[in-house]
Amino acid sequence: MPANPAIEQVSDVAWEISPSYKQGMNVPARIYASKKLLDSMDSGVIEQVTNVACLPGIVRYSYAMADAHWGYGFPIGGVAAFDVEKGVISPGGVGFDVNCGMRLIRTNLHYSEVRPKIKELVDLIFNLVPAGVGVKGTQNFAQSQMGDITSLGVKWCAEHDLAWEDDPNHVEEGGFIKGADISKVSRQAISRGTSQFGTLGSGNHYLEIQVVDPARYLDKDRAEEFGIVHDDQVMVMIHCGSRGFGHQVCTDYLRNFESGMRRFGIEVRDRDLACLPFSSKEGQDYYSAMVCAANFAFVNRQIIVNQVRDAFSRVFHRDAEALDMHLIYDVCHNVAKVETHSYDGTSAKVLVHRKGATRSFGPGHPDVPAPYRKIGQPVIIGGSMETGSYLLVGTQKAMDETFGSTAHGSGRTMSRTAAKKEVRGAELQRKMLDHGIYVKAATMDGLAEEAGMAYKDISEVVETMDRAGISKKVVALRPIGNIKG
Amino acid sequence: MTYRFLPDVALADIAFEATSDTVDGLFETCGLAITDIMVDPSTLRTTNERELSLQSESLDRLLYDFMTELIVMKDVDSLLFGEFRVRVSKAGTSLDAVARGEQIDRERHRLRNDVKAVTMHLFGVKHEGKTWRTTVVLDI
Repeated sequence: MPANPAIEQVSDVAWEISPSYKQGMNVPARIYASKKLLDSMDSGVIEQVTNVACLPGIVRYSYAMADAHWGYGFPIGGVAAFDVEKGVISPGGVGFDVNCGMRLIRTNLHYSEVRPKIKELVDLIFNLVPAGVGVKGTQNFAQSQMGDITSLGVKWCAEHDLAWEDDPNHVEEGGFIKGADISKVSRQAISRGTSQFGTLGSGNHYLEIQVVDPARYLDKDRAEEFGIVHDDQVMVMIHCGSRGFGHQVCTDYLRNFESGMRRFGIEVRDRDLACLPFSSKEGQDYYSAMVCAANFAFVNRQIIVNQVRDAFSRVFHRDAEALDMHLIYDVCHNVAKVETHSYDGTSAKVLVHRKGATRSFGPGHPDVPAPYRKIGQPVIIGGSMETGSYLLVGTQKAMDETFGSTAHGSGRTMSRTAAKKEVRGAELQRKMLDHGIYVKAATMDGLAEEAGMAYKDISEVVETMDRAGISKKVVALRPIGNIKG
Repeated sequence: MTYRFLPDVALADIAFEATSDTVDGLFETCGLAITDIMVDPSTLRTTNERELSLQSESLDRLLYDFMTELIVMKDVDSLLFGEFRVRVSKAGTSLDAVARGEQIDRERHRLRNDVKAVTMHLFGVKHEGKTWRTTVVLDI
C-alpha cells in the first residue's frame, strides 16, 4: 500500500485514521500493525475500515487487526462494537461462515511417539473426517433435533454422550451462545446443515496435527496452565465453521437486509455493509439465526473432535482419556456477540462484531473458564499449513483497548489462481514431506491454493499483537500432519 | 454464452464474469461456471434430471436465487449439473429450468473447490446492447 498521510502512527504497532478522513465517519479507525505489515496491507483495508466507521451506533473505533485484508464490507480482521440500542447488526461484520473458528486439543504424546505413525494417523483421520465438495457427515441427526442442537451446542453434545463432561467448559461461551431460535432459520439452511455435522469443508479449513516448537516454547508457566507440560507435546488443531448451515443463514438474511435498509433509511457506502438496527425485529431475527449457526459450528467441531479421539485411540492402542486428549479451548473468529465492556468511562452492553478476529479476554474475566481465569483466555491463531500456529493468552489491555479482541490468522496475500500458478499441489505435498509435514488433501488444486506463500507471515502478525499487549504469546505449534478439504 | 474467471477480484474466493446473447443463456452460463468451479465438467455425466421453478422480486434476485439453489442441491442431494435449460419469464421475476447432472462420485469425478454461497459483491445483471452480462463472486 502506498504511504497514506491520513494514517497517523500512535505507537510502534498502532495507527489511527481521524474521522475527518471521510465524510460520515462516526469514530476513528485504528489499525494494529507493524510498519512492515502496514506497508504490505492492501489499500482495500483502509477503505473498508473507514467505511465501517460510518455505520450507525458504532462506538470507540473501527478496528483492523494485524492480519487484516480486504473482505466483503468489513475487512477480514475487522472488529466493531455497536451500542445495542442505537447500533446496527451487519451480516458482513460476521462473515458467511458463521463461527468459523479454531479448536485446540492436547495429547500426552511426544513427537517421537507420533512421528513414526503420522502417515497412518493422518490417513485414518482423512477417512473419518469427510472433507471437500458436497461431503456428508457420519453423524445423522434428524431435522427435528436441530432446534435443540443449535440452542444448546456442545452442552447438548455432553447430554447425549457426544462430548466429555468438561468439554463445554473449554469452549467459548461454554459451548453455546444464548439466544438461538431455529424458527428464524430457513428450511434450506436446516437441510444443508443436517447432513454436514462432523465435516471439515474445504478452502482454508484444515485439521492439523502439531507439535510444540521447542525453540518457541515461550511462556512455560502459562503453557502449563493450559495443560502443555513438555516441549515436544503433540496437539491437534481444527479450523472449520458452520458449513452450509451458516452460509445459508447469511445468504438468506443478506437478501432481507438489503430491502430492509430502505425502510429504515439507512445508507451504506458499500452494499456488502448491509445492516439493520440491532433492536429491530429483522435485526433480532438475524441475530437469533446467526446464534443457531454459531452453535452449529461448535457442535460440528465437537463431532470432529470425537472422530479425532477415536483415530488416536486406534493408532496408539489407548483410549483418548489415557492419551489426555482434553480440549485446551475453542474460539470463534466470525461472530457478533452481546458483551459487557467498559469504555469511555462507562460500562455497557455492546454488540461486538468480530470478522476474522478472535476474542482475547484477560485475567479475572467471568467468561474465561475457571481453570484459566487467573491467567486469561487461550487465544488460538492459525497460520498457513507450512508455517504453523500459535497459542496465546488474552489480556486486560485487550479489554481496555479493543473490546477484548485480537487477530485470528495470517491473512491471504495472493489469490487462489495466482497461488496455483506459482506451485503445483503434488510438488507442494512433496516439499512439505521433505520438511516433515505429511499432508493429505481432497484435491491437489485445493492444496496449491493454500500454500504458505499465499499468506502473511504469521509470526509477524502474532508479534505485533504481542507488542501491542493485546494477546501474549505462549507457545508456537509446528505442523507435522495436515488434512485439507 | 461464455464465462471467464477473474483472478484478481477476490483473494480468498472465486469470481467469474458471464455473458450471453439471451437472458436464458446468461442463467445457463452461470450454472456451468459454478459447476466448473466444483468439478471437471468432462468427468460429469448427465443422467439425473431436476426441474426447478423459482420466483423472485427482480431479475438480479432471480439469478442469485437460481445459483443459490444449485449450491443447496449440491449439499442436500449431492448433485452437480453439467447441462441447463432455463426459461426466464418476460417480466424477469420467475423461471422454469431443467438441470441435468448426477450425484457426486468421488472415485470418478475430478472434484475441485466447494462453493458455499453467492456473495452480493459486484453482483448485478446488466443488459448492454445485445449482451447480457453479470459478475459473480462466490464464497469458497
